[in-house]
Amino acid sequence: MHIDWSALVVVAVVSIVTSVIFTILLAAGIRLVSIAKIKSNEGGSSAAIVSVGYVLLGIAGLLVLFGIYVIVPQFH
Amino acid sequence: MGTDVTELFVVITVIAVALIFDFTNGFHDSANAMAGPVATGALRPRTAVILGAVLNLVGACLSTEVAKTISGGFFDDSLITVPIILAGLLGAILWNLMTWLFGMPSSSSHALFGGLIGAVVVGAGIASVNGWVIVSKVLLPAIVAPLVAGFAAAWATRLAYGITRRTPSVHSNTGFKYGQAFTASMVALAHGTSDGQKTMGVITLVLIAAGLQASGTGPQLWVIIAAGVAIGLGTYSGGWRIMRTMGKGIVEIETPQGAASGAATSATILASAHLGFGLSTTHVSTGSILGSGVGRGAEVRWSVARRMAFAWLLTLPGAGLVGGLAALLADKGTVGVVALMVLLTVACLVIYVISRRHKINHANVTDSHEVLVLAATPTAYADDPRLEPPAKPKKIKRPKAKSAA
Repeated sequence: MHIDWSALVVVAVVSIVTSVIFTILLAAGIRLVSIAKIKSNEGGSSAAIVSVGYVLLGIAGLLVLFGIYVIVPQFH
Repeated sequence: MGTDVTELFVVITVIAVALIFDFTNGFHDSANAMAGPVATGALRPRTAVILGAVLNLVGACLSTEVAKTISGGFFDDSLITVPIILAGLLGAILWNLMTWLFGMPSSSSHALFGGLIGAVVVGAGIASVNGWVIVSKVLLPAIVAPLVAGFAAAWATRLAYGITRRTPSVHSNTGFKYGQAFTASMVALAHGTSDGQKTMGVITLVLIAAGLQASGTGPQLWVIIAAGVAIGLGTYSGGWRIMRTMGKGIVEIETPQGAASGAATSATILASAHLGFGLSTTHVSTGSILGSGVGRGAEVRWSVARRMAFAWLLTLPGAGLVGGLAALLADKGTVGVVALMVLLTVACLVIYVISRRHKINHANVTDSHEVLVLAATPTAYADDPRLEPPAKPKKIKRPKAKSAA
């Protein structure tokens, strides 16, 4: 019986890379939004930081949407 | 006329048993998606299982392109008969219930394959089973899944903690909990599409074999709905014993760690399902939780992990043994089928009664990390109302257990 090693490697690489990217986006987004909150509590301006934070969280959200797209067979 | 009635009886029985298997599949795998969020409090236990159940049902209804075979290449398709399917399902159900009793996560698909293989071996001899396929489809994935998911989760966990090191946990926990809820939902949805399909395939094959459905047609609407509802109800019932092992038993899960392991679980499951190397959802989620524990540098209970590895190794032969024994009775016509149903009912009742000794439900799932069976600790005796004095040992035991957890 033939074992599909290349599929195995692809699955391993994609799994690890995607998990890491998603977590980086989520964690960085959370951190930036938190920094912005603290700054604005201290009276500083934080519009730039907060928007970058939300963009990162938005990209993480897009990854979730892409996951749903992959799951639902009717989409492809 | 007589044979027709017998055949119809057998077909109805197999459909009922297939739905029971679907139910055990649901409650066995409920924890795969929801153990993390329940353990960290990202979702309340009840909310988690309702969400999981609905997504499983939706998933099952979405994906109705039933696999053409259920033999999985382990043996020749022509060996699959209705009695063999019945025996295989029984093996899988009993294995799922036994592992649930001990709070052990194990793969429902491996259990189903094991049951079928056992039944085929009894019917057609050991030579009819392709050993290489067992290595490539069962053993290898069982090693690869926890490794890949574990690596992914370990790295993700390190990064999650590294990046948010200076972030106040009031802020970070909310965000990570959202992340966890979303990834868990994806796992539940994906689970519905893959595992709901399994039961639909079995029922459809039985209907076709009995001449009640044209060959080559897809599952009928009632089959889709019945399978979706069965797996959804199973998920809703929660499988709290397994939920406790995965959420508490392997390692204590903190919120960022839970989010990282959720990300690893959903990424690995989706990659494996769509890039051609099938991995078991159970093995992936367990691997993620283990890996996230290692990544955080937390104290992983390796003894639990070891027991789990044994359970995985035993799944195929264990379910195979039950399936094989069931196969001896399954082709004895109505009498055999009735006898099997009686035995199944008795076995389910016995396992249920034993599970009541140390009941685990949505209210106490996160209270401890241990799943107790029978007299695993003296508390089994302390709880016994016939023994004097009933109250005192209880009070001594409880705080101890909590401080240990």
